Amino acid sequence: MNYSSSFTYVFDNFDKLLQGLWITLQLTIAANIIGIVFGFLLSLLAISKFRLIRWPAQLYIEFFRCTPVLLQVIWFFYCLPIIFDIYLDPVPMGVLALGLNLMAFNAEAYRSGVQAIPREQLDACVALSLNPFQKNLYVILPQAFRIALPVLITNGISILQQSSLVAIVSVADLMYEGKLLATDSYRPFETYSIVALIYLAMALPIGQMVSWIERRQERTLHS
Amino acid sequence: MNFDPTVVLKYWSVLLQALGFSLALTLSCAILGMLLGFIISLARTSKNRPLYWTSTLFVEIFRGTPLLIQLFWIFFCVPIIFGLSLSPLVSVVISLVLFMGATSSESFRGALKSIPKEQMDACQALGIRSMNKTLFVILPQVLLRATPPLLSNSVALFKESALVSSVGIADLMFVGQSLSNRTARPVEFLTTIAIIYFVVAFPLTRIVGNIEARFIKRFAF
Repeated sequence: MNYSSSFTYVFDNFDKLLQGLWITLQLTIAANIIGIVFGFLLSLLAISKFRLIRWPAQLYIEFFRCTPVLLQVIWFFYCLPIIFDIYLDPVPMGVLALGLNLMAFNAEAYRSGVQAIPREQLDACVALSLNPFQKNLYVILPQAFRIALPVLITNGISILQQSSLVAIVSVADLMYEGKLLATDSYRPFETYSIVALIYLAMALPIGQMVSWIERRQERTLHS
Repeated sequence: MNFDPTVVLKYWSVLLQALGFSLALTLSCAILGMLLGFIISLARTSKNRPLYWTSTLFVEIFRGTPLLIQLFWIFFCVPIIFGLSLSPLVSVVISLVLFMGATSSESFRGALKSIPKEQMDACQALGIRSMNKTLFVILPQVLLRATPPLLSNSVALFKESALVSSVGIADLMFVGQSLSNRTARPVEFLTTIAIIYFVVAFPLTRIVGNIEARFIKRFAF
């Protein structure tokens, strides 16, 4: 091992990495908003009484959960313009692909949250003559959200990591800028290590937060 | 647009071969990764501080960074730093094994935690050596309880293995993409490989659910 590392080139071009980081954050946050909001709606569809609603929703969830995210991203970038004649900028397209993926994973998380709500409450909703909209919004959603929260956040972090895949279709995110910098500088070790550290610095505190929330939930469940 | 799924049929043997490669890669990396994961999970319960911290750091790094960057890091950096020349296949196998090791160690850890403390006390009372305790008391129970999460880790690895295409390994993803470029028919080919991945992964996730529901609950809980 006689490699002398030099980080000067990476630090000189750190603003490039920061620009990439900004795109990565935009992708992650926007995809999470889509995933958290529409994931709940999708989970309601997936447990609907009507097969015609339930089956397509379940098929959607399973299809996104059982195919590689890389393939989904590439499919959206190559096939969506051809099939539907939709031309989006790279970042919105990335948000769409990642958001639709996260929707499927979050719907599963919400579903177990919804199913954890005691049957009696649903009877109580009937007794109180709440309409379905009120029932879902005021009774089911708050509780399902609380139960699903740790998984929702964990899914959110994995979307942060999966967002690096858009680099393969040349969206200028953190991974893409890192790749460019590594090739330009002939310093892959320094560049990729720094990029990995940036991802880690974002994922670690959020992961800690998840275990904190889980511990708190366990305590409230036992008391 | 003119959608013509028949163009795919001409290449079915190539796609099948690529699927076989993806499956073989996943299976071997999953098995090696699980072995590594079991060792790491034991290291993380160890009272030896340096052992505990190195294993925890390892898991956090590999779970906290994108697999893509791990692949690139090992592909480009290991040869430079250690002066080793790795073939592309070896370098992606190493990445996938380390990644699987980190994720499966968490599954093992969850299973380890679920073993009641009393059993450890019982082992001490019976004078069972720590080697035998690990092998005959802990391992069988942990294996049984960790089976469902390990299977879903393996299915996840199958999906993640598509990333090796980005360093030029000819797996299903790579072959599908290059065929779609060569024939200029991305819709047909990309959709087909998506369906292939789905057809392989979906039944496996169902099996995981079934095992969880029937088999494990009967024997381990």
